[in-house]
Amino acid sequence: MMHKRILFLLRQPPYATSHALEALETALVAGVFDQQVSVLFRDEGVWQLVTGQDGAALDCRTVGRVVQALPEYDVSAIYVCARSLAARQLSLADLVLPAAPLDPAEQAALLAAQDAVVND
Amino acid sequence: MILTIAIHGAPYSSQASATALRFARAALSAGHSVHRVFFYHDGVHAASALAVPPQDEPSPQPDWVELARHHGIELAVCIAAALKRGVVNEQERERYELPGSSAHPSFAIVGLGQLIEAVGCSDRFVTFAA
Repeated sequence: MMHKRILFLLRQPPYATSHALEALETALVAGVFDQQVSVLFRDEGVWQLVTGQDGAALDCRTVGRVVQALPEYDVSAIYVCARSLAARQLSLADLVLPAAPLDPAEQAALLAAQDAVVND
Repeated sequence: MILTIAIHGAPYSSQASATALRFARAALSAGHSVHRVFFYHDGVHAASALAVPPQDEPSPQPDWVELARHHGIELAVCIAAALKRGVVNEQERERYELPGSSAHPSFAIVGLGQLIEAVGCSDRFVTFAA
C-alpha cells in the first residue's frame, strides 16, 4: 500500500450522531496503517475536543477520550479551526489535547497539501 | 484516474447512495476506474438483502450489484458499522450465533483497513455524506 497524506476533516458534533466516533475510528486505523495522517476539527466538530466530556451520562463512549488516543496511534498532526473555536467562545485551554489553531488560509493550504481528504 | 467512493447515507433516508451510483456511472463512462465502493455509517444498509422497497420507488441495490459485476468493482461494507446495524453475512451469523443473516452476497464485509488501503491505491477519494 502506498503511504499517503490523509486529512480527516471532522465537522460533526460529538454526540448527536455516530459520525464523529466512526470518523475518529477511521483516523485511528489510518494511523495504524502507517499513513501520514492529519486531523482538522472545525465547525461543530470542535466540541469533540472539549474537556470535561462524560459519555456515561448518555450511555455512550466519551468521544474526547477517543480524541486523546490519536497520538497513541501515531496521529499527532492535530489542527483546529481558530474561528470555529472563537465563535463558540472556546479557547485552546478548553481542549483535551494540544491542537494547532489555523486560520482559513492555513486550512486551505493544509487541504491542498493532502493526497486525500476524508469527511465525517 | 482511479477512484474510491465512500457512501455514508442510508438508502431511502438519504440521497447519498443514488447520487454516488450516478457519479460512478458518469466516471466510468468518462474512462475512469472505480477501485472500491465503501459503505460506512448508515450507508451499510445498502447491503441488506432483506429490504423490500415499494414498487414505485427505485432501489439502488440491484444497480450497484450490476455495476460492480460489470466493471469488477468491489462493494465493501465496514464490518463494525454493519454488525451494529444488523447487516450480517453468513460467516458473522455463525460467529455471533445470530438467528439469521441479511447481507447480499455481492457485498464484502471488511475491516476499516480496507478503506485506508483503497485511499492508498486511488487518485481520488470521494465521499457521499448522509
